[in-house]
Amino acid sequence: MAEQKNRFPLKRREFVKIAVSFLPAAFLLPATARAMALVRSPVRVNRLRPPGAVPEEIFAGKCIRCGRCVEVCPYRSIELLDIRAGVFAGTPIIRAEEIPCYLCMKCTQVCPTGTLQKISQEKTRMGLAVVNRHLCYTWQSMTICRTCFDVCPFKEKAITLDQLRPVIMEEYCVGCGICSHACPVTAADGMKAVTIEPIYSWE
Amino acid sequence: MPQQRRTIHSKRLFVLACAFFLILINPFLNFYLEWNVIQGWYQSFGVGKLWFVSPLEGLESLLVSKQIYWPTLIGMLLPVCLAALLGSVYCSWLCPISFFCEILDYLKKKVTGRKWLKDRLLLSRRILWYVLVAEILLSMILAAPIFVFVSPPGLVGREIMTAVFFHTLALEGVIVLLVFAMNLFSRRLYCRYFCPLGATLNIIGAKRKLKVVQDITRCTDCGLCDRICPLGLSPSKGMAESIYCWNCGECTTVCKADALNYCWETGDWRAQERLSGEC
Repeated sequence: MAEQKNRFPLKRREFVKIAVSFLPAAFLLPATARAMALVRSPVRVNRLRPPGAVPEEIFAGKCIRCGRCVEVCPYRSIELLDIRAGVFAGTPIIRAEEIPCYLCMKCTQVCPTGTLQKISQEKTRMGLAVVNRHLCYTWQSMTICRTCFDVCPFKEKAITLDQLRPVIMEEYCVGCGICSHACPVTAADGMKAVTIEPIYSWE
Repeated sequence: MPQQRRTIHSKRLFVLACAFFLILINPFLNFYLEWNVIQGWYQSFGVGKLWFVSPLEGLESLLVSKQIYWPTLIGMLLPVCLAALLGSVYCSWLCPISFFCEILDYLKKKVTGRKWLKDRLLLSRRILWYVLVAEILLSMILAAPIFVFVSPPGLVGREIMTAVFFHTLALEGVIVLLVFAMNLFSRRLYCRYFCPLGATLNIIGAKRKLKVVQDITRCTDCGLCDRICPLGLSPSKGMAESIYCWNCGECTTVCKADALNYCWETGDWRAQERLSGEC
């Protein structure tokens, strides 16, 4: 008997018990993940806050979801998130590859809570453009494309050409996303060869 | 005199309709004509450089972010003054939810053929204060203001704007439908017991200047005012002067004895009333 116990330290009944006790976890985990998504910021690659936005930690707290930034945006760049964004429902977001921000700065003029602060175009930091050199046709020496360079509102400053290849200058890039919108290369996962990383959003 | 007073109802409906029309037409002006002078809805409403911020939403934003932003405070000033002088007239004279509820009440009367609508569900009015406190506490715990994205009057504006701008409707609009569905139990069930904005405005307007005052000597105890009050208050028992009254003036329109009237109170109004017999 003792030998048998050693050979099977886990009795079948106990194993079933443990297995059953893990079952709820299997159901709870996706639910938890969904619940976490309700408090996770929607800001990510090419999903940017309008110019002058306060840090993402206090954005949802300060914004009163009045939608005035959406109404004044002449390019319809700004969209409102709905309840699926959890506590971020009703906050403004810019999908850079769809319609980028053209830096008219009208939204910063109407925000009633200072969530979008009045700043100049040059001081805007919605994110930072990043060139994916594995995707970019110019960097891959497939063709000479300088679309991003041509459309950049801060040409020769934010995007410069290094042997005809685009290079982002961190200190000048405002993250408007015009380059990402214009980039002709779209990867299989929908990403452009140049995308905006919202790295300043948490500062 | 009663003829003149009966117009309060139609006047209020007219103001409600205008207030709704304003936020209805506003996204169209912004979207199709790019005429940006008027923006927003009753969470924050901008006319040119002048803007208004709803007191509760502004308060939540200030409390959660723990930063003072003067434009918000200044934007809140006018609504707060309005509420301090006139009570929660926003709720009864401007709120788009109120506008829809009036229409629904009218339809309900037409369909059922009843002259008076009944309240089937009565709760303690103190729930209103608990809701307000719970709402502010929860906002501060979550570090995200709650009322700003589930406020029914705000949602009406946001749904109209989403429909015009993005040709779709936001999911949270069901909250508005829920509020309307609550009307099936009692008239303005949501406004009476659950609206934190109404609670805020009630508190601001606790010492309001404009009140519906009952002249007890004229009152014939007919009880018509109690039946018409959309909030289920009893103006015949002096509840129109309580903190819960939203100054819609419906009770003054039905009072045949002319016992209920809007009064603008200056200074110690009770003493004044005692002196003059009426205000």
